[in-house]
Amino acid sequence: MILKYDLSNKITDKIRLDGDERIYYAVPADIDRQGNHLEGAYIIVTTKKICLYDGNDISETYEIKDCSSAKADAKVGGGLLVVNHKGIDKIVVHYSAKHLARYAYIARGINILISGRFEEVESKEYEKVCPVCGRAIRGTGVCAKCSKEGGSTGLFKTLLMKYAKDFIGIFILMVLAAVTTLLNPEIQKHLINDVLKGGGGMRKALVFLAFMFALSVGIVVVNILKSNASTRLGARISADLRMQLFKKYQELPISFINDRRPGELLNRITSDTLYIREFMEDVFCNLFAVLFIFIWDVLFMLLINVKLALLTFVMVPVVVVMILGFRKTVYRIFHMQFRKNDEVSSSLQDVISGMRVVKTYGKENDESDRFKRLSSEYAVTNRKNETFWGIFQPIISFLMGMGVVIVVYFGGLDVFNESMSAGELYQFITYTLLLFQYIEWLSRLPKELTQLISSIERIDDILRQRVEHEDENLVHDMEIKGEITFDHATFGYKSYQPVLEDINVTVKPGEMIGIVGASGTGKSTLINLLMRLYEVDDGRILIDGTDLKEISRKSYRSQLGVVLQETFLFSGTILDNIRFSKPDATYEEIVRAAKMANAHEFICNLRDGYNTYVGERGSSLSGGERQRIAIARAILTNPRLLILDEATSSLDTESEFMIQKALERLTEGKTTFAIAHRLSTLQKADRLMVIDGHRIAEIGTHEELLAMKGIYYKLYNAQITA
Amino acid sequence: MDGKVTDFYEKEAEEMTAMNIITSKDRFEKTEGGFINLTFNGKLYEQVKVVRLFPFTEPDKFISIRENDNRAKEIGLIEDMADLSEETRKLIEEQLSLNYYIPVIKKINSIKDESGHAYFNVTTDKGECKFVINMSSNPVTKLTDTRLLITDLDENRYEIRDTKELSQKELRKLDLFL
Repeated sequence: MILKYDLSNKITDKIRLDGDERIYYAVPADIDRQGNHLEGAYIIVTTKKICLYDGNDISETYEIKDCSSAKADAKVGGGLLVVNHKGIDKIVVHYSAKHLARYAYIARGINILISGRFEEVESKEYEKVCPVCGRAIRGTGVCAKCSKEGGSTGLFKTLLMKYAKDFIGIFILMVLAAVTTLLNPEIQKHLINDVLKGGGGMRKALVFLAFMFALSVGIVVVNILKSNASTRLGARISADLRMQLFKKYQELPISFINDRRPGELLNRITSDTLYIREFMEDVFCNLFAVLFIFIWDVLFMLLINVKLALLTFVMVPVVVVMILGFRKTVYRIFHMQFRKNDEVSSSLQDVISGMRVVKTYGKENDESDRFKRLSSEYAVTNRKNETFWGIFQPIISFLMGMGVVIVVYFGGLDVFNESMSAGELYQFITYTLLLFQYIEWLSRLPKELTQLISSIERIDDILRQRVEHEDENLVHDMEIKGEITFDHATFGYKSYQPVLEDINVTVKPGEMIGIVGASGTGKSTLINLLMRLYEVDDGRILIDGTDLKEISRKSYRSQLGVVLQETFLFSGTILDNIRFSKPDATYEEIVRAAKMANAHEFICNLRDGYNTYVGERGSSLSGGERQRIAIARAILTNPRLLILDEATSSLDTESEFMIQKALERLTEGKTTFAIAHRLSTLQKADRLMVIDGHRIAEIGTHEELLAMKGIYYKLYNAQITA
Repeated sequence: MDGKVTDFYEKEAEEMTAMNIITSKDRFEKTEGGFINLTFNGKLYEQVKVVRLFPFTEPDKFISIRENDNRAKEIGLIEDMADLSEETRKLIEEQLSLNYYIPVIKKINSIKDESGHAYFNVTTDKGECKFVINMSSNPVTKLTDTRLLITDLDENRYEIRDTKELSQKELRKLDLFL
């Protein structure tokens, strides 16, 4: 994301930098004081001041030394940059949602300058629209049109090299297909001129017929071979890319995955690779053959009869315009039909999944009416489209046929003048038909190519992401004793929005820490850091005095047991799911873990015992049952460090109590972090940590915190009253 | 059980459910930095926030005035802007325009469609705007059958109040996205 736009000299001259003053940030200000859209205005931050350039002149200036803080305040559809200038909060500028993230960085940058440091803030986020050409950037770092570097050529080349043999094979088949296709009319000409008109005997006719038969068979065989080879190659390439993408997804940091919508990532594996396959099957396999045929077709036509050929070519633009217009209309009406269909099915889904609500409020008739309306709208659109299709398709064919009629008329005149033979006319007509047939195909090509390129770009974008592999020389395996220290740890999911600030605490080995606080204060974030799903932005986390970054991920995670709020079970059996954390666990170990988690009893009551299939995401089990399995999975490895994020929240009070008892035995001697809303679950915690306002607000034993009469005291009392 | 704490929650619950109505006798004033302060029931609230409860159906009614901190507790409700004095209404409207930026499309100059994205050039009540939408991500929300909300790539939103007011030509351009 650009934080320093290029400014024209006209603007920079007006800023009047003095001495070592430098421009740090310059970003567009796109809403004026009256709330109207504005172009050409900028906020410019130098090392000494914040200036507002309103399109003509510097209209406002705030000296950094007079400011005490800056804030980018997000509003609906935009935001405000507010600075505290000489003790008064001032609105510096209003901007639209386009620049929301940009200004958040700027505010952070200004705050750094205020604090007397001179670091420049950088942003690794992508621009969504190319600042140069205004085109949308499709989830890649650079604009496909403007930047020469990167793009799809790299991946293209690699693929071409890797499958060179197959490509060459297909290419040869394509040339063969073209030659055979083009040869056919030539032989037909001879048949007419030399045999039918020239009075050759039956024998000669049979020879030509045999030739034609052989050619037809040849065309079929070559085409089958060619399609087969292309399909196979397409499938291989897309499978190859799918595997590469999947492997990459596993390696990429979780922040990368979280930054993108899950659908988008899924699409790259499914749709984009599918598109490449389809392209290979439908387009590529004919690409060179068609081009080859097309060029020779035109040449042959010119060779046979220049006048007639030119006359036919005049028709070409007419046909192309017609085809394009027709296709646009077809796309539009079918797109509308598709949308209507979508509406019908989503309304259906809505009602069916909300059936209980619909029934309890007695709204069956209203919903029926609504559905009836949508459904009949769809039916009307559908009927209209079919009528359109029914009328226009024959019209197009008719117009194309008219081209042939013209050829026959003028060609026929030439034949009567004897400036052309009948065989040549026949040959010419065949070439004309071929020409029109391929124009349709060729006019589709540009769109198909752009789509292919953007698919390849999207795939390439992922494959080119650099993954920071652990440097084997810097990390080592370590037996964890369990002392954990947060040392000035600061972290935010978005670099400009800290969730945890300056966390400092040391946890002794074997200690159990209860984490409390309102939703969204950063409890789960603290645990994500501990699980090493994210790295701290600032500060350190130490395990037994060693920086977490120096312990190999594999060895660290193998000593970690985690039960999360959303228990995720894979589709498979209970056994598979418990065993997931330790694939070589014995049956005895599994049963013991299940007993500890109070899961054994309910598993025994299932028809298939531990071999019960849990369905997708464990859908056949209740929330509490899933949670107990997750607990069994976490304790199977006998971890040194235990993390419980609302681990027992879906359980009824009795099971919770039972598991608490079991967990007590389990957590003994293990460093444990437990998040809970129900404070009773944290009774056994050695210390409690209250997180509020991005920081540790209170920490101490239950009694200590009660005596403080702070946040915990209120929470505790609210719960026992309730 | 500690009586004081119970009282605290009782009070919270009461505040949560209270309907405080702000009328023309409560005073708003503009700060030097461009915000507004409110004196309500004799208490001064600084840099208050203004929130529309029904931004699409009743933009000028039911404005919630809230405290300026993370909890943003409601101080009171303005039921109808029309009941306020001219001067106060102006102050509130100014704040609303700082808090809400949703240009209303008055005229569609052109829509260009290029490989999955549509490039709009429109005239809005806030001036000429150009924006890009991604056609595969459901960029158009139907508020009613004729009222649309278009979300662009940058998550700016543009409103079309009534599609019936557009010309046939403009409608045809827009048709593809409805």
